[in-house]
Amino acid sequence: MAEEEPRIGVYICHCGENIAGAVNIEEVKKFAEKLPNVVLVRDYLFMCSNPGQELIKQDIREGKINRVVVAACTPRTHEPIFRRALEDAGLNKYFFEMANIRDQDSWAHWHEKEKATEKAKQIIAAAVAKARLLEPLEDRYVDLTQKVLVVGGGIAGIFAALDIANAGYKVYLVERNPSIGGNMAKLDKTFPTNDCSSCILTPLMVEVANHPNIELLTYSEVEDVEGTVGNFKVKVRKKQTWVDWDLCTGCGACTNVCPPKARVPDEFNEGLSKRGAIYIQFPQAVPKKAVVDIDACIKCAGREFGTEPRKTKDGKPILAPCEKVCPTGAADRTKPRNPEGEVVELDVGAIILATGYKVMDKKHFKEFSPDSPNVITAMQMERLISSTGPTEGKLIVPSDIPKYLEWKKKVEKGEQVELDARKPHRIVYVSCVGSRDDRFHSYCSRVCCMYMVKQAMLLKEKYPDLDIYIFFIDVRTPGKDFDEYYMRARRLGIKVIKGKVGGVQRLPDERLWVRGYDAELGKPVELIADLVVLATAIEPSDGTFELARKLGITCGEEGFLKERHTKLYPVDTMTEGVFIAGCAQGPKDIPDSVAQAKAAAASAMSLLAPGKMKVEALVSEVDKEKCSGCGICVPLCPYGAISMVNYNGKMRADINPALCKGCGVCAAACPSKAIKLHGFTFEQVLAQVRTLAKRGVVEVL
Amino acid sequence: MEMMEEGVPPVINLSKLAEREETELEKKVAEIIKELGAERIMYCMQCGACASICPLAKTGFEWYNKKLIKALIVGLRDELLDDPTPWACVACNRCTEVCPRRVSPFEVMFAMRRLMAEEYAIGSLAIEGLRALYEYGHAVYMTGREARKKVGLPEKPPSTESDPKALEDLRKILKQTKLADLGLIPME
Repeated sequence: MAEEEPRIGVYICHCGENIAGAVNIEEVKKFAEKLPNVVLVRDYLFMCSNPGQELIKQDIREGKINRVVVAACTPRTHEPIFRRALEDAGLNKYFFEMANIRDQDSWAHWHEKEKATEKAKQIIAAAVAKARLLEPLEDRYVDLTQKVLVVGGGIAGIFAALDIANAGYKVYLVERNPSIGGNMAKLDKTFPTNDCSSCILTPLMVEVANHPNIELLTYSEVEDVEGTVGNFKVKVRKKQTWVDWDLCTGCGACTNVCPPKARVPDEFNEGLSKRGAIYIQFPQAVPKKAVVDIDACIKCAGREFGTEPRKTKDGKPILAPCEKVCPTGAADRTKPRNPEGEVVELDVGAIILATGYKVMDKKHFKEFSPDSPNVITAMQMERLISSTGPTEGKLIVPSDIPKYLEWKKKVEKGEQVELDARKPHRIVYVSCVGSRDDRFHSYCSRVCCMYMVKQAMLLKEKYPDLDIYIFFIDVRTPGKDFDEYYMRARRLGIKVIKGKVGGVQRLPDERLWVRGYDAELGKPVELIADLVVLATAIEPSDGTFELARKLGITCGEEGFLKERHTKLYPVDTMTEGVFIAGCAQGPKDIPDSVAQAKAAAASAMSLLAPGKMKVEALVSEVDKEKCSGCGICVPLCPYGAISMVNYNGKMRADINPALCKGCGVCAAACPSKAIKLHGFTFEQVLAQVRTLAKRGVVEVL
Repeated sequence: MEMMEEGVPPVINLSKLAEREETELEKKVAEIIKELGAERIMYCMQCGACASICPLAKTGFEWYNKKLIKALIVGLRDELLDDPTPWACVACNRCTEVCPRRVSPFEVMFAMRRLMAEEYAIGSLAIEGLRALYEYGHAVYMTGREARKKVGLPEKPPSTESDPKALEDLRKILKQTKLADLGLIPME
């Protein structure tokens, strides 16, 4: 068949108006008919439609053509469709070439119709030049590793892991923190149903921990990723916990005795309280294990790790309080420990990134007096109203939290004392703090309107005397049951003021003077508040960009992971086999995160379920007669597909087609031009380039 | 009524309004308005549909339906007593028809009239209308009797004017309303 003279059919797509609106189809048709080896030219409104594909199939079946050029949109989305049409009609699918006269022509030159028409001719001529030199190729199959790595143990990662594990596949769930649960574990209640966040999350966390198909790696981070879709090799660093997790029962005795000097702001309480250097992340942690924050640890009694304790005169060892109190010996400091932890290697076929978000700190917003303890972020407010928060859910102004803690200590000692802490009476919410703000982030953080309404409503229902204001730019409540929720808050008497707050001033009595504008009344407004809550923007979690780079996927302008296609491939990435879910992709609420997690899980499973994967025949091959054995190509290959082999007594490069991804780096670098990238051979590419350089004149050799 | 003369200040102090509602008034302003007939005032989402077709808004009155509703929700009250807008409402009820939240902004306008009347904050034109209503059974007194005669109509229209019994009944009803308690007009 390869011997047969090429008979090329050129099919020009109008793409509705997308191409025909800028390109004169009739003129291009007439031009294409004169190109060498072109035997017929047709045009159609939508070539990708069934009748459009049928045109091609019929011409092949009738023996009119044996090469196909479709001048239409992008091969990225449409090449597979047309290749399948060729296959259906009994022609090798690699006898196909696509000329992109939409993205690269009509869209780009929409207002210059004559030039667009000329350019279309050249692009088609170049495609024809290449099509004349196409060769038949055969696809291959490679085995897949039917295991999945999920990065991030928040609600999205948890659901992705559970769905895949329930389907019978092995899942590695890697979480950077000591416990899974993510941001959702910090929330008090969840909109729009006001379910208790912990109550719905904790059982799922336990299910993950107990699942026979899930291997949980917490306090661990992805260090390196090699390989490609179906067969990734992932290096995961299990950070040093400084506590023997095999022995630790999570009793928490050590955390209570860690001295005040070693106490640092508690991340879980968003800095509203302090935790010890040895700590358990939060009461419902899974796994419930202690870790030592080695930077905060003051090494009581000189207890460096890996040293024998000093002894008292009567021979008793002098231990640090944490190891002294530990009932199982998990906190023992005698054993040496590697500060770098341990690196484990995982083989997986697909990766799901669910690395979540963080909220912006208030410190950026000087106009809102961030130095005042009573100006807090909404996440801090979640902790303040949570029963596992710094005040066990007692509503007091944050400036009085130290008073609360002192009171609690006294009560625990059995003293009968009244709590002398101020309850907030007037609370002001400020929306879009750092979101929809070109100084910080232009995007909408999507969840703030709803969580402000949620917090305000929970407070107003519990304490009807509270006077609560929400200052907003637009209230955005498009989710299911969301607007009804918002309207309920308004009816409760929560005052919703259209207009952003411009300034918050700290008063000597730790109250706050808030200045805003009521666009509905058309007047500036002011008020004295006890508490100001800032709905600060959602940002990608730390390390998102670095992780993306390791996987070869891109981040958008704002740092969130970029999906392959906003509408059609929302959980896929540009790296095949890597999927995304949850807030790592962009701000979203719990229902959306869960839905996306399940979508990512389904996508990963449909990739892995067949056990084998079709790999396109577009791989490189070494002509061992031409190869000089210089070995330049070997280290260049990003996939480790090239090795040196003995060929008739000489060392020659050899490419493993199962590992080759057809990137072409080796072919470009080979000084002897001994490497051929099938589908993009030198001859084919040069024919295209020459045709373009000669303004559409195809050379006939 | 010291605030009354000042009207709505250029900067509205929301916490002062809230404190006034909490300490000086028996009820929140919005609650009072609800009881005076505008039951759904808290359903308002400030979309502005009512204002788009309100003759008051079009003719430059400041506290037309949408703004009045918002003002009442944040607790303005005394500051609005001197405002003529509610008395200028022509009760066309277009706002009632277009409101997507079934607030009936017209009811808010009229509730505000009732609140103002209780505070004796009524313009002289409105008092004249009430007086005419009591005296003749028409808020706007009919003129043009000569013209009626010329075209062959009876001098008095077939209403309370030509029906002393009906006028008597109307007066009985009026005497049972709040109008009698307020003593705004002489009701013999």
